[in-house]
Amino acid sequence: MTELRELAKKLLAEGAAKVVIGWEEGPRGVRPAFATDAAAADRLVFDARCAHDLAPYLDRRRVHVAKLGRPAVVVKPCDARAVAGLIRETQVKREDVVLVGVRCGGVLADPEAGGTLSADTIADRCRTCDSRETALADHVVGTPVEPLAAPSRRDARVAELDAMTPAQRWAFWQGELARCTRCNACRQVCPLCYCDRCMADKTQPQWIESSPHGRGNLSWHLLRAIHLAGRCVDCGECERACPSGIPLGLITRKVASVVADRFGHKPGDDPAVPSPIGTWRSDDPQEFIL
Amino acid sequence: MEGTATATGFEPRITAFVCNWCTYTGADLAGTSRLQMAANTRIVRLPCTGRIDPAFVIKAFERGADGVIVSGCHPADCHYTAGNYHARRRFAVLRELLSFMGVDERRVTFSWVSASEGAKWRDVVNGAVERVRECGPFESYRALAGGV
Amino acid sequence: MMNATTISSSDLSGLAADLLAARVRVAGPARASDGTVEYRHAGAPAELVLDSGVPRRSLKEFFLPPTEPLFAWRTGAGGRVELLEAPLPADPAVVIGARPCDAAGIEALDKVMGWDYRDEPWFARREATTIVSLACAGFDRSCMCTSVGLAPDTTKGSDLLLVPIGGGAFRAEVVTAKGARLVAAYPARFRPASGEAEAEAFRKAAREKVAASAPPAADPLRPWLDAHFDHPLWREASLRCHGCGACAAVCPTCHCFDIVDEPETVGTGVRRRNWDTCQTPRFTIHASGHNPKNDQPARIRQRVLHKIVIYPKKFGEMLCTGCGRCSRACPGGMDLPEVLARIAALAGGAQ
Repeated sequence: MTELRELAKKLLAEGAAKVVIGWEEGPRGVRPAFATDAAAADRLVFDARCAHDLAPYLDRRRVHVAKLGRPAVVVKPCDARAVAGLIRETQVKREDVVLVGVRCGGVLADPEAGGTLSADTIADRCRTCDSRETALADHVVGTPVEPLAAPSRRDARVAELDAMTPAQRWAFWQGELARCTRCNACRQVCPLCYCDRCMADKTQPQWIESSPHGRGNLSWHLLRAIHLAGRCVDCGECERACPSGIPLGLITRKVASVVADRFGHKPGDDPAVPSPIGTWRSDDPQEFIL
Repeated sequence: MEGTATATGFEPRITAFVCNWCTYTGADLAGTSRLQMAANTRIVRLPCTGRIDPAFVIKAFERGADGVIVSGCHPADCHYTAGNYHARRRFAVLRELLSFMGVDERRVTFSWVSASEGAKWRDVVNGAVERVRECGPFESYRALAGGV
Repeated sequence: MMNATTISSSDLSGLAADLLAARVRVAGPARASDGTVEYRHAGAPAELVLDSGVPRRSLKEFFLPPTEPLFAWRTGAGGRVELLEAPLPADPAVVIGARPCDAAGIEALDKVMGWDYRDEPWFARREATTIVSLACAGFDRSCMCTSVGLAPDTTKGSDLLLVPIGGGAFRAEVVTAKGARLVAAYPARFRPASGEAEAEAFRKAAREKVAASAPPAADPLRPWLDAHFDHPLWREASLRCHGCGACAAVCPTCHCFDIVDEPETVGTGVRRRNWDTCQTPRFTIHASGHNPKNDQPARIRQRVLHKIVIYPKKFGEMLCTGCGRCSRACPGGMDLPEVLARIAALAGGAQ
């Protein structure tokens, strides 16, 4: 990935950035990297194993990362949508970050397993992704790639769930959420979950119980999905991070389809386009309202 | 824990989140007009449907409500101009997500009821009570926590 | 009291069936709905999957559940509060196929659970549960049991240790009186001991495999760590950490918990204890608003030191059992063997 490394070294040498946040080889495969010098920049990689969304590292609360100085962050098109969300919601100023867009043909569903990208191994969100490179970038690197388009397996699973009775869906989610221990990994890795005081952490009153029983878990995942409606960019980090294998991607996919169907909106990489929740049209559909 | 049993069976417990300016006033009109309607609702008054956080609906179910009604001003009539427009989008998402996670959508009723629509409020309430009665008690949400 | 027997895999399956028929709960590695193997209660012997490496989460949840009711309250007439204590768990249970690193973690936790007061629910479950471990062949490069004074065939925490001897059979080594009682209760399943040489060969190969990729031993690093509390290594190590707590969730020995009071109806409610993690930003926040562990470097340092410095100081044994799960689970690429290797390099240089 010479082009990326040379650009990273150039940004550091010219002082355009004090740290280039990208990916590097780690003991268990590719992982986030924080290159502050040429030697580290020379270790940056980009390939189909780079599933991690690096946008969370721009969160102002990560003081130890912010202390490294002005960041340049390498973004796939989905990551750029997350950064656009942060800019749109005034968490990051566009001029405070250098964005290095990387041309992407998809990432692996199991980055640690490695292997070649194929219809079987590609991440579900990449199957229907129509962005090859982002417009929200100061530089774009990489060779143009044709995407491996395929129908989304999650869409099929969501359709199966939609066809079930409410009682069947209840049983399904109670079964899956029984494994949730409320470790909050899904929240911590999410680029758009940046609230300094999460609603689930509030205790006067306790809106969302912190206990990992069925009631607390259902309420938590419901509320998080609602708070992310129109904002979630489907980066897949929540499901990847979940140590208990809960199919959170089904919830994110459902929310995205509701927002797309009802409000004609898909999160994009233009910070100027407003979020669908927080805006409205006088002719919004209201067939469900008596 | 069931609601008060009557001769015909289960009486749903419905929590209604309504806006002060339209639906609350409309409900008051229903009362002063002595319209007969089901007595299963507890009304929570808010300034505007825009104030209704989806967490209120979730909390009501957690606390044992069998059904929820959410009601406010018709579009273009909001006392705060656009609160109900914001709410409309939020409710659309809330409703579909609740259903996706297995909450029967008959348990949640959304309506626009103006200050002069006492009769409509009666119809909304009666309709909601019947739909929720069909669904049965919703103990399962509260009971998810388990006891000692 | 180390005596041994042999048990074939069909007899092991039969033992599980016997236990289930006797209304003893059987837990072991089994597939979750997403296909991944984790420790679960088995409804039938066929559910147990004994040949697939390290289960996703640890054994601790069978002794310290993610959420546990402590008591219920009811406010009665005159403001009197009645408490209804949760009954102590007493269901007999046998774990079949525990990883030795997980069993060792349970025994390590006995110290803190019996330290300043006796944690009754923990010990009730401990007393009711027999742990039958399956010696490990060594799983992947994140394994580091040999670096923390253990081994893939350690008997620490196990009541019975099964070592594969070929042909689907196991040499079953009795470690504790509880293990002996299990063997004595189901004599039809256990045959005279055999396969001593095969068992030894398995154990030796496993130890060598893990040791070959494991980081330097953790214990000798303690003096350096004590003397370099403010070292910049923690800042570097924590950059990629999301503070997500996945590591604590899967760890066999992380045991911090939160206590919450949850109202149910007017005047009633339940007090529960829930898993918590020192990795989240608000774990150490005070009522004043001051947070002594205010950034991720401090929190990462806390976690590692607790495992290999603080717990040994207090209780005489490592809290980390080298299972490798934290490195596997971390979405940000944190790697404990890497951290230890770095510390060893720094400590070696300092000498």
